[in-house]
Amino acid sequence: MNDTSFERYVMPEIEVLLRVANSLTRNYAEAEDLVQDTLLRAYRGIDGFDGRHPRAWLLTILRNTHINRNRRRRPELLRDPDVANDRVVSAASPDRADSGIDNEIDSEIVDALGTLSEQFRQVVELIDIDGLSYNEAAEVLDVPVGTVMSRLHRARSRIRDRLARVGFDPRRSL
Amino acid sequence: MKNWIMNLFGRGSPGSMSCRQVGAVLQDYLDGQIDSERAQRIEEHLEECRRCGMEAETYERIKATLAAQRTELPAESVERLRDFGKRLAAGDDPSAP
Repeated sequence: MNDTSFERYVMPEIEVLLRVANSLTRNYAEAEDLVQDTLLRAYRGIDGFDGRHPRAWLLTILRNTHINRNRRRRPELLRDPDVANDRVVSAASPDRADSGIDNEIDSEIVDALGTLSEQFRQVVELIDIDGLSYNEAAEVLDVPVGTVMSRLHRARSRIRDRLARVGFDPRRSL
Repeated sequence: MKNWIMNLFGRGSPGSMSCRQVGAVLQDYLDGQIDSERAQRIEEHLEECRRCGMEAETYERIKATLAAQRTELPAESVERLRDFGKRLAAGDDPSAP
């Protein structure tokens, strides 16, 4: 077991992993459990890791761990569309929206984010809020980079369209 | 009026881009995903074309507002995970028999 590799490649990514885990679970307690499982799997797999792109490697482990945990613990989420829809609706008012909103345009943008489908909202959260690259977001979501770009651009366009519909002109406050 | 029409169809200076061409890559440009030569042409268009300039400013505002939603991580969660990682790095696998 290469403990030095673990410290070198894994430890610096803990905060990024927790941030992404929170975007996936929308619950910090659950996110912490998810990252703990991810760290354990990374520790056990570190000997097979080639040292290139550690964040991408860890995000792949995180994603697979998240899928396995959902399958094991909450199979109803994967089967019942009503439950899945409730989850999307409950995501419409994320905790992070409670802070830092100092004007109506910001509120409108954050509200618009909450009304996006989970597929679109997740990619915006991962890239525009959590700060992942297109490639890293593609690892987390297990989709091609082109799909990430397409979803991101369409999601931002929907936010822009909503601003236009409610009559906001963001130039005024720039 | 004349400049606006020329921008729309990309018939300004040689190598200039049309509004449609800029619109197709505007978000990639704002995300820094465009090579420097093309980025320069986009910047020239945005400086000249009020309509596309407004569009770019709107997307910049959306991106800035979203980036501001990034919150501090709970310090105690980060600390617990760091401790867990340190224990693993020290060879203490908590689930080992």
